[in-house]
Amino acid sequence: MSPGPAAALLAALGVAALLAGRTSAVAVIVAILLAVCLRAGRRTRPYLIGIGFTSGSVFLLTPFVESVGSHVLWTGPIVPVLGALDVTREELAYGLLQALRLAAVSLAFAVYALQLDHDRLVRSARLARRSVLAVVLATRLVPTLERDAAGMLEALRGRGVRVAGARGYARLASPLLSGSLERGLNLAEAMEARGYGRAGATRAPRAPLDRLDVAALAAAVAIALAGKLWL
Amino acid sequence: MALARVDRLSFRYPDAARAALEDVSLELEPGELVLCLGPSGSGKSTLLRALAGLVPHFHGGRFSGRVEVGGLDTRSTRPSELAGTVASVFQDPEDQVVLSGVEAEVAFGLENVGTTPHLIGARVREALAGVGAEHLLGRSTSTLSGGELQRVCLASAVALGPRLLLLDEPTSQLDPDGADAFLDLVQGLATAVFVAEQRPARVLDRADRVVFLEDGRIVLDARRDAAVRWLARNRPAYVGDEAPPDEEPEPGEMVCRLARVSFSYGERLAVSGAELELRRGEVVALVGPNGSGKTTLAKLATGLLEPDSGLVEPSGRAAYLSQDPGRYLVCERADDEVALGVGGDLRRARGALARMGLSAHEARHPRDLSSGERERLALACVLVTEPDLLVLDEPTRGVDPERKQALAALLRREAPMRATLVVTHDSAFGRAVADRTVSLGAATEAVLA
Repeated sequence: MSPGPAAALLAALGVAALLAGRTSAVAVIVAILLAVCLRAGRRTRPYLIGIGFTSGSVFLLTPFVESVGSHVLWTGPIVPVLGALDVTREELAYGLLQALRLAAVSLAFAVYALQLDHDRLVRSARLARRSVLAVVLATRLVPTLERDAAGMLEALRGRGVRVAGARGYARLASPLLSGSLERGLNLAEAMEARGYGRAGATRAPRAPLDRLDVAALAAAVAIALAGKLWL
Repeated sequence: MALARVDRLSFRYPDAARAALEDVSLELEPGELVLCLGPSGSGKSTLLRALAGLVPHFHGGRFSGRVEVGGLDTRSTRPSELAGTVASVFQDPEDQVVLSGVEAEVAFGLENVGTTPHLIGARVREALAGVGAEHLLGRSTSTLSGGELQRVCLASAVALGPRLLLLDEPTSQLDPDGADAFLDLVQGLATAVFVAEQRPARVLDRADRVVFLEDGRIVLDARRDAAVRWLARNRPAYVGDEAPPDEEPEPGEMVCRLARVSFSYGERLAVSGAELELRRGEVVALVGPNGSGKTTLAKLATGLLEPDSGLVEPSGRAAYLSQDPGRYLVCERADDEVALGVGGDLRRARGALARMGLSAHEARHPRDLSSGERERLALACVLVTEPDLLVLDEPTRGVDPERKQALAALLRREAPMRATLVVTHDSAFGRAVADRTVSLGAATEAVLA
């Protein structure tokens, strides 16, 4: 399948997860995306850790910031601004739905980042090619940051510095961000030197859409509609 | 008629204390290979950027004088418009790769300059073949070694068919054979080449002319033979082949021993059955082609990697200097950065900075330092820990020949304090500093020489 229709299919699954109201339907979407994502092997690890952490946080925190339902499972104190910290069955169900929605959207991005041919995606973009290229370059941020962080930790170990605790790791955030900004500037300079942004750019010939691509595009529309109307 | 003309160019980066280039005048003729030499921070990279139009368009700053390339004034022509007439290969290949596949990467520039679509594929293959990288077609750029990536970057530049090719330390990540092959390819191109280098010997053999920059000014612009005579007289470090150390090292106690050590990254075997002994007082150079497992062996020796099989017997504290000085930029001041490894002891940190000639930069943000200065800062970061085993992985990348001499002298002077292992492609530096050389072959078997 060409990367354009594949990206449309992933986007449709993300949209369907956001529009669907049934937890079971969103859970099925998450399961499908997780199965596809795991095919990328060990590279999925940072994505799955991030998705697990953020979705888990949403599930745990939602009951404390929402006030819905009458089936109280736990009664907590009343906190200014937040109000009563009760946990109800309805709040847990709502938290689960929100967590699954976030997981589905994040997994769709992970599959896009790990399994799609981004070069072909840029080439096949008929509209907004610059925006597509910007998204593709931003996608590289996760593996690049992962590699930079590993390199920085190794260099610190190599001079006898152990990084420990959340505070220690948090200290690396700023240099990693500065490093990625510097890398971004270097890349922008190299792109300009290679003619990026010049009028009259052309594109290497791209393969036409085949039947599978057309079917995937049709399925993408159907999935998004199903998410809105039936799920 | 000159292909490129730099006329009384002065340039100061925004917020810089001094000008990067001052009153520089230069002409480049079609087809000639010009080597640009000079100490770190002397303005070589800035001059290359001025010829590509990136200075001042991309960097801003104060620009006076005039630069013309192929009849185009760089002040009124954006760098993207100059692309095709000029092509650049920058210092760090990893920072200039845009796309994830080799074919798309080489095609990127061709598409930008408006090459007829059905010709792009053939031009990509031709450029890759021209730099001996045809076999990389179809590979992902993220799986390439530094040397392979450098070839792909050169192919991307050559594919544009430029009249002027600008190369900034293009062989810094290549082993000696790779560097020779790369420069042979460059020499064979029918284009003018302006190349900045800190390992000058190879390019000097092939250059038509040499330009020497110092503090932003050109102090030499001469044909090769005259330039070599001038360098021998005024900057011998740039032409001298360092003599090996004359004193025999006192055999000290064993600091690290590796016995039948093997290591794999997933499916890929990096080191197989390697043997290595390092004793206090000796300096050992570890050499071998790209991908032969030198860095892996160095990391095994310092305990940064655990072997899959075999034995690593360390004794005392080990320190490892990574290839990438960007990994030593954690703090906001250079002295704090060095002090990090010694519990914040600023007195020791400043002493280490002084040994590396960086006293004037104690309070500067490490990211404001030039690449050569960053390399020396990284060295100060590991030297300050006073290790029993010091492992330096390519410590001369971006370091000018005079600083290399100083570094070699420092390592020799301090050799009795520790065992030192230097991983290097810089054969002149290896000869100058090492008591013995360990060669890793392509089969990753260690051979004591």
